[in-house]
Amino acid sequence: MFTPQWTAQSQFAGYYVAQELGYYREEGLNVQIAHPNATQGSDERIKSNTSQITTLQLAQAMQLIDQGTSLVNLLQTSMNNGLLIVSRRNMNPMEQKGAKVALWRAGFTQLVECAAKEADLQFEWVRAANMMNLFVAGAVDASVAMSYNEYYQILQAGIKITESNIYRFADHDCNIQEDGLYVTREYYNKHKEEADKFARASRRGWEYAAAHPDEALDIVMKYVRRNNIATNRIIQGKMLEEILRLQLDPDSGEREFRIRPDMLEKANDLMLRNGEISRAITMEDLSR
Amino acid sequence: MNKPDYISRYGIRNSLSTRLSLWVVLFATAIFVASLGYLFWVSRNAVKREAIRGATRELDNTVLRVNGILEDVELAANNLEWLIYKDLDNPDKMMEYSRSVVLNNSFLNGCSISFEPYYYKSKGKYYSCYSNNNGHQVFTRQEGNDQYQYFYLDWYLLPKLLGQPCWTEPYTDQEEDDDGIMDSRMMVSYCKPLIGNDGSYVGALTLDISLEWLSETISAVKPYPNSYSILIGRGGTYLVHPDPEMLFYQSIFTPELVEPNPELRSLGDAMQDWQEGMRELNIDGQRCFVYFKPMMTTGWSVAIVCPAHDVFGGFRRLQNTVILIVILGLFLMFVLFSNIIRQQLLPLQTLAAQAKVIAGGDLKHTLPQSKRHDEIGVLNNSFSEMQSSLVTYIHELTTATAKRERIEGELQIARNIQMDMVPRTFPPYPDRKDIDIYASITPAKEVGGDLYDFFLTGNKLHFCIGDVSGKGVPASLFMAVACNLFRLLSNQGLPPAEVARQINDRMSENNEQLMFVTMFIGQLDLTTGRLDFCNCGHNPPIILSPKPHFMDCLPNTPIGVCPGWEFKDQVLENFLGTPVLLYTDGLNEAENLVHVEFGNDKLISILSEHKFVNAQELIETLQKAVAAHVGQAEPSDDLTMLCINTVKL
Repeated sequence: MFTPQWTAQSQFAGYYVAQELGYYREEGLNVQIAHPNATQGSDERIKSNTSQITTLQLAQAMQLIDQGTSLVNLLQTSMNNGLLIVSRRNMNPMEQKGAKVALWRAGFTQLVECAAKEADLQFEWVRAANMMNLFVAGAVDASVAMSYNEYYQILQAGIKITESNIYRFADHDCNIQEDGLYVTREYYNKHKEEADKFARASRRGWEYAAAHPDEALDIVMKYVRRNNIATNRIIQGKMLEEILRLQLDPDSGEREFRIRPDMLEKANDLMLRNGEISRAITMEDLSR
Repeated sequence: MNKPDYISRYGIRNSLSTRLSLWVVLFATAIFVASLGYLFWVSRNAVKREAIRGATRELDNTVLRVNGILEDVELAANNLEWLIYKDLDNPDKMMEYSRSVVLNNSFLNGCSISFEPYYYKSKGKYYSCYSNNNGHQVFTRQEGNDQYQYFYLDWYLLPKLLGQPCWTEPYTDQEEDDDGIMDSRMMVSYCKPLIGNDGSYVGALTLDISLEWLSETISAVKPYPNSYSILIGRGGTYLVHPDPEMLFYQSIFTPELVEPNPELRSLGDAMQDWQEGMRELNIDGQRCFVYFKPMMTTGWSVAIVCPAHDVFGGFRRLQNTVILIVILGLFLMFVLFSNIIRQQLLPLQTLAAQAKVIAGGDLKHTLPQSKRHDEIGVLNNSFSEMQSSLVTYIHELTTATAKRERIEGELQIARNIQMDMVPRTFPPYPDRKDIDIYASITPAKEVGGDLYDFFLTGNKLHFCIGDVSGKGVPASLFMAVACNLFRLLSNQGLPPAEVARQINDRMSENNEQLMFVTMFIGQLDLTTGRLDFCNCGHNPPIILSPKPHFMDCLPNTPIGVCPGWEFKDQVLENFLGTPVLLYTDGLNEAENLVHVEFGNDKLISILSEHKFVNAQELIETLQKAVAAHVGQAEPSDDLTMLCINTVKL
């Protein structure tokens, strides 16, 4: 059972492609893809062993490891950070002290919380299953968003935003990798071969998606419809485009599928400083 | 440059009827285009105004209907809220209230009274009293748990964060029906915040209604066959849309993610700003009118999309029919006019054909009289009369010509006779070396009134020159009489004055026409050289030596004017060897084209410069000089010259 960390969307295009084009089957794997619901995140699913393989953001994985859930990074897909804070008011969100800021109930918020703490912004965090409805209704002052997902939802909602009311973490010495493929170390030790095969097939899926984005989008839309997700091809196309961009290493411009030690170190620094983790997470902690 | 083929093919240049018809049709077309264009423009605006009125009315009714139901929900919430506050300390009552409100209000699908985590210590982290009407019965339960952490959901967070009642955006609710099958329904909730006595947020009261009725109510608004209604939420999402692919999945702004669409953006912004109005824009490649109106309590906006071809469908059909009728009408008008004009002009064609026959020489060809009284009838009859007059005229002309030819023939004979009456053989006395005479007579018409004569009796030379008043036949007859009388009387040896007196007496008798003749009568004795002469009102002759000068003559009077007039003789001695020129006024009064006379001065000048050789040469010289002076002008008078030169042997 494989659980991506969010509902069906282009963020997981490579895995859908691998499944649909039979790459998992070719490796002799019988994979089921089950998405989390709005109130139970993928981290909880892997902790409870509801799913064996999941995707997690690097910071999220580090926090889980620090909390005692030993994890193995099978495949690092993201090479850049896509986190944003978007303000409802026409001003820099990082200058809105005490603002109500919506963020995901389901996690991925370690970086935001660290940055807010460091800037002493004293944000009033509003955790929500669907931040965008709160943001659109004007119930919050700002919202955390992903450059490939919520950002486009905001545009689609007709809200006029400019670069001056967006804070991009990647542009502020906070370019820390995000999505990767994880299993518990316990599972990995028992099913090393299957896990490696899954990682290999998944990488093939992503490489195919990058080379054939239109075909990949068709496959994504199939999963979208199957899961009855309220989205459309246009917005999923934008998401796939941005996801594939974030997968390119900022230095080499290549899809490297690895954890960069400098980014790991940067994440450790930030999270240690802000008490999000109690010890530095090493490459050994994450590697197979 | 050659004319286009069609011009000759359809006879536009050659056919008056086609040309006239074309002008009429062109003029009518211009009038139709202008008047119909204005009519269509005014009508189109009227149709548009009516469409806006109709759509606005429909929208008002729809919004009123929807608001009525939404207000019922709000009223139910207000009534329930009072009970919740009354029993806020009794959590179990909440289950009862949740159930009763759903039971008592059939339009409600569910009611949730949910509280902050651990608000009731006895109930733990989750306490959400939820009642649901699945259409058959009402279920009531506490629904919060680790898998359903309600306090992260919109309907709970929105009233908490906004601090006031509000409507959520529509959402999909999955319910298990009686047979255990998951049923997915679009729902919307009205949420009220519950505030404790200390002012803190306690929880939320939420009433759910299905969106199916809303969708049905709004979709039923269909003023035109292809029009449809849409409803968008606060975030521009389509809550009602005929295309299932758009419904809930897309917003009115989604196309903007691909490329800028200012028209759609403007509409979306206006609807999102809760404005009311109308926009005209392209949707899926067709021009549409979109009428929109907000639903104030929810922040949604409803719109009717009417394709322009639907709004103007009836108008377009009418327009096309009218245009077709006008085109057909113009075509029929052209055909009809062409035929009518051709029929009307048929007599002209007949006339032209017959005129051609007449022009070909058949002058006796008669034209039928037209019974028409219009211009063409008048033209036909005028032409017919003209042709008839022409025939008569030509007949008369032929007769007159024949008559004139006969008269001319007779005149020619008369001319010959007249010419034979004067000596015309020169030299007249070839055996007499002492006499050099030459004469010429040139009548201005066929016959003239000038005369001259000379003859010898013994050694006496009788001569005369005369000019009858007037010209032509009367003058010639008078001349003939004068000529005969001169010869008859001179032959009797009478002196010139006596000859003149007797001629005068004879010719004055019965001279009712009051004609007269000027004459110069002379008798030259070739032996003695004595010249007896009598000038009867004639131009004095010119004596050419030693230098040219006019002979000194008594005036007397012309012959035929005064009966019984006593003419006087004059005498010049030693006249032999003196050339003399006798002439009529046709010489010195000859006029050129500008009526300038030849004149005595010029005559004397020419004679002075001329070296006399003989009589003939002198007269020929003068003839040339007169011809040069007259040029192309018609001869104004008869011209007669007689030159006599005698030599003493």
